[in-house]
Amino acid sequence: MTKWEKLDNNKVSMEVEVEAEKLEEALGQAYRKVVGKIHVPGFRKGKVPRRVLEARFGPEILYEEALEVLVPEAYQKALEEVDFEPIDQPELSIKQIEQGKPLIFEATIDVKPEVELGQYTGIEVDYEEPEVTEEQVEEYLSNLQEKHVRLVVVEDGEVEEGNIAMIDFVGYLEGEPFEGGKAENYSLEIGSGTFIPGFEEQLIGARLEEEKEIQVKFPEDYQKEDLAGKDVTFKVTVKGIKRKEKPDLNDDFAKEVSDFDTMEEFRQDVLNKLKEEAEKKAQTDLEEKVIEKVTENSKVDAPEVLIERELDRVLSDFSQQLKMQGLTLEQYCQLTENTEEDIKEDNRGEAEKRVKANLVLETIMKKEDFTASPEELEEKFKKMAQSYQQEPENIKEYFEKSGQLDIIKKEIAFRKAVDFLVSEAKVNKVAPQKEEIDLLEGLSEPIEEKTQTAETEANVESAED
Amino acid sequence: MRDARDIIIKPIVTEKSTMQMEENKYTFKVDIKSNKVEIKKALEEIFGVKVKSVNTMKVKGKPKRMGVHRGYTSDWKKAVITLEPDSKPIEIFEGL
Repeated sequence: MTKWEKLDNNKVSMEVEVEAEKLEEALGQAYRKVVGKIHVPGFRKGKVPRRVLEARFGPEILYEEALEVLVPEAYQKALEEVDFEPIDQPELSIKQIEQGKPLIFEATIDVKPEVELGQYTGIEVDYEEPEVTEEQVEEYLSNLQEKHVRLVVVEDGEVEEGNIAMIDFVGYLEGEPFEGGKAENYSLEIGSGTFIPGFEEQLIGARLEEEKEIQVKFPEDYQKEDLAGKDVTFKVTVKGIKRKEKPDLNDDFAKEVSDFDTMEEFRQDVLNKLKEEAEKKAQTDLEEKVIEKVTENSKVDAPEVLIERELDRVLSDFSQQLKMQGLTLEQYCQLTENTEEDIKEDNRGEAEKRVKANLVLETIMKKEDFTASPEELEEKFKKMAQSYQQEPENIKEYFEKSGQLDIIKKEIAFRKAVDFLVSEAKVNKVAPQKEEIDLLEGLSEPIEEKTQTAETEANVESAED
Repeated sequence: MRDARDIIIKPIVTEKSTMQMEENKYTFKVDIKSNKVEIKKALEEIFGVKVKSVNTMKVKGKPKRMGVHRGYTSDWKKAVITLEPDSKPIEIFEGL
């Protein structure tokens, strides 16, 4: 017996009634629980009759205990009856509680807001056909080359930009050696900017075994205050010079870095890999675009609770990421002079977008009746089993036990909905705007509006992962 | 004349007395100098019930000590009264 009314789009107030007998039963239970804890003079512990207890402490003493059991149960049942999906803890207020009368309480809950779906089939989107150019392959290979450089000792020559010089050096401040200004056999890459500005540049041209005096000025913001802004002299001895040598792109190189025997095969493999990546990215881009359009077409409010929850999730993901880099969230906040609130605020817009998209997708899921079939579930477990190197049975058991089965099911249904939307969408194939994407990182102004949205969308996706 | 409420001092609520209530027996602490007849009359006046019988006993005070000082708590009189079966019950928990 549940009456309910809508307060606004995502708030519902329910009036739940529990039968008097049920209340009586719960009160009896409550009495048995309470009686052991209370001492009344004239009675041994646990022997106080209920009448005495109620007369002495008032019947309210039992209500609290009884409600603790009764309300959540009744609340759950009422929810099933009215078929709402709450997204937050309910606000409860007791309307009537008296012995021999039914218990009446009111629950105000935030529910998922109703979504007015707009057009969601036949969405028109641009699809950038993935294309991998020869240059991208070259770039990939040259990156690989960089990683596999060999150091070759230069027997007779001068220090050049990009070389690695083995040096001994002593630094003098006003004629006196200063602390930390001395080292032996130090490998310094010229042009790496490891040392204070001017040092590395002045070394260029120095010959092997040459002693050189270098005049440099410490920058004003140097971390050691007694040195900052001071002119110093370094006496440097070059003990060795090494040149970096890139490996040639030949079959040997291919053998070294891959399982392929010839460069030709390796190059083909790189091409394939890059293509695969590009296709994946294009696919996610497409999905994101479709979802975005569908969301735009629908009318939906994102409740504050959900946004807040999404933000919390973003934050915890973020702190996980930081942890991998050996930072805690607090440390990060200190470094960037941000607070958690700032980070949340920065992400609010995106979070709202995602919440909306999720709500829309869920509604579509319901409307089109996408559910996970047992076979699909089985399939998913198999996949997971593979990546965790476990038996599918174990994985299944784990999820069943931890009650996350529903989450998995939802995930599958979600996937289906997305696939459905994409398959129903009208996809306009457009030529890739590859250069722009590559340039985007360095460029302050994106060339075309469209590319920018596509890019940010892609970022959203990766941030979610 | 002493008032009825000077005779009946307070109800005794213990495990035993609560159990006896099922047999229509109620227990009170009463004035130590009062007798059964007075108690019966006082109860009928206060609660408007019909009293069948009154059993009384004197409860000796307990020896108590406060540091070096020794003494006793006061003696008192306990009255267990039985109501007629057709009498209305005493709302003994009232004002507890």
